[in-house]
Amino acid sequence: MDDHRTLPRRALLKALALGAAAGALPALPARAQQPEQARNVDAAPQGHAESARQSVPFHGPHQAGITTPRPANGIVAAFDLVLGSLDDFERMLRLLTERAEFLTAGGPVPQRDPKLPPADSGLLGPVISPDNLTITVALGDSLFQNQPWLAGLKPARLQRMVQFRNDALDPSLCHGDMSIQFCANLQDTCLYALRDILKNLSEFVVLRWMVEGSVPPELPGPDGTTPSARNFLGFRDGSANPDATDKAAMDRIVWTGGKDEPQWAHGGSYQAVRIIRNLVERWDRTPLREQERIFGRMKHNGAPLDAPEAGERHVPDYAADPDGTATPHSAHIRLANPRTPDSQKHLMLRRPFNYSRGALKNGQLDQGLLFIAWQADLQAGFIAVQEKLNGEPLEEYIKPIGGGYFFALPGVQPGDYLGSALVTAARRS
Amino acid sequence: MLARQLRSTALALALIGWGGAALAADPSLDLVAPLADYKIYVAENTAKLVEDTKAFTEAVKAGDVEKAKSLFAPTRMSYERIEPIAELFSDLDVSIDARADDFEKAEADDAFSGFHRIEHGLWEKGSTEGLEGYADKLLADVTDLDARINGLTFPPEVVVGGAAVLMEEVAATKISGEEDRYSHTDLWDFDANFEGSQKIYELLRPLIAEKEADFVAKVDGNFKAVDEVLVKYQKDGGYVSYEELTDADRNLLSTKVNTLAEDLSTLRGKLGLG
Repeated sequence: MDDHRTLPRRALLKALALGAAAGALPALPARAQQPEQARNVDAAPQGHAESARQSVPFHGPHQAGITTPRPANGIVAAFDLVLGSLDDFERMLRLLTERAEFLTAGGPVPQRDPKLPPADSGLLGPVISPDNLTITVALGDSLFQNQPWLAGLKPARLQRMVQFRNDALDPSLCHGDMSIQFCANLQDTCLYALRDILKNLSEFVVLRWMVEGSVPPELPGPDGTTPSARNFLGFRDGSANPDATDKAAMDRIVWTGGKDEPQWAHGGSYQAVRIIRNLVERWDRTPLREQERIFGRMKHNGAPLDAPEAGERHVPDYAADPDGTATPHSAHIRLANPRTPDSQKHLMLRRPFNYSRGALKNGQLDQGLLFIAWQADLQAGFIAVQEKLNGEPLEEYIKPIGGGYFFALPGVQPGDYLGSALVTAARRS
Repeated sequence: MLARQLRSTALALALIGWGGAALAADPSLDLVAPLADYKIYVAENTAKLVEDTKAFTEAVKAGDVEKAKSLFAPTRMSYERIEPIAELFSDLDVSIDARADDFEKAEADDAFSGFHRIEHGLWEKGSTEGLEGYADKLLADVTDLDARINGLTFPPEVVVGGAAVLMEEVAATKISGEEDRYSHTDLWDFDANFEGSQKIYELLRPLIAEKEADFVAKVDGNFKAVDEVLVKYQKDGGYVSYEELTDADRNLLSTKVNTLAEDLSTLRGKLGLG
């Protein structure tokens, strides 16, 4: 991405590729390969000035955090909103925009009289680094249902998430009037931003649920491309994602437009969030070949089963496999995207994180996928694909327990505020 | 008469207690009158707590479950109004007001005592069996609390900070309905916590009203908004079950509580206390 300001990327890639060839790579990127210094245990793990400086512009035609590269950490928090009037809504959106502008750009934290509580949590010290932070704000169906001054302005496809057949939804992990997605290089940066928003917007927001996730950084392959991150089932996730740098594709697949959507909503995107528990112990006791047939991909490299050495980006040829000999018809990737002309209209952009939330009462790990998908049309995207997946063999190993559907507001230009077009439309009606 | 006596004692204690502390002279002097008034308010509440607890524990010991149930929530209110001060005696706070999940073995833990132990017996078991000892202990504890508080010099930062602390209480344990989980009488506690917080704020309000007009307007408005929600749930001089609180009203209370906590947490600084 052009707007993703990384520094000497080419040099880094080259160094990593060389390192990979030599078979002597450390677990961390090359910049950690600094001279060993005697460091005491109380010294913090070494940070990276370069990654701390990275920033994603908050302003633009679309919100950041959707087609911008996914950093290593993310949070989805859902809120109920307490709004007495449209004026309250505008005040909240302006305040939220102001906080997000500061948090994503970074800078010194204002100092207060020490007799007062400090202005912020202090978690990141006196000067905030942008650290690739994005803050993406989306609205839920309940907001439009509950606020009479938003009547008639709901995005056409926005709806309350319904239970699919394999779901076991926990009401305390579902829905919300608003979601905010935080993504950053470090989880502390996301948490800092969340705490800042809770503190500054206490008049309007009640936290409903929040899930933290991360994705493991991957080393670039010999050809310089970075593979998809692995999920907690050990498989690469996102191999068949559309190209987020292809503007035309994103306009078609991700950004909402068209005559059936209200004008204010153009340039936004539907967000499907699903908290999907992975039954990891059981999965790890499943034969490898069966795991691969359930997903339709090789575990070690993510390649489709009909071309096991071709790499994860290789497009499977299902037409040549009508009986499902190589890739079973029930395989996850074949059900989700059968690669027919019709599949094009069901595309979405997945940008998930893995979550780990401690242990369950049964002594098993509470781990899973914080699934996040973005699409121009929620019905044609996530909902249609999930309906195709209903009954898939993977269901034995996964259990969706929460999430919700939201609509990410269009982007914001400097001087304006998030959702201003919606507020203007509401004032007119 | 009692009030006047208390007022002069409080004044003297207040002056002796922190006259020598390293505080700026001016804010301390401004605070003398409100602190003395607050001391009276607390004394009145602890006296009432002893009186009400006596009646409550007598009903428990007499095996009168219905009467004990009817006295449970109103008796607690005098405690909940003055919680920032009561909490200064952490041994008593635990034995009077701890909840089952403060103990590893929860309700099965013998150390689980006080109001919520008795609440558990009355509502979960519908019986006063085995509660006699806890009833005696509760009365002894609140009597002890009353004596200790009457002998206490109120630290000004605790009193001033208490307005926010009461909101923290609501935010942390009341809004979820887990405080009075067997009886669902949480709205009584809400009312008492708000009243206790508002009392402190009202006593201090004249000191800042002129300089902080926006602040007091906002805080006044939020207390008023809370009252408007709570009044909807009043019934027969008390409150309906917490389970009847709608999600929308719970969310509204939650935002008001958190915003009051944010704003009232600046009272100490605004009054020059560190």
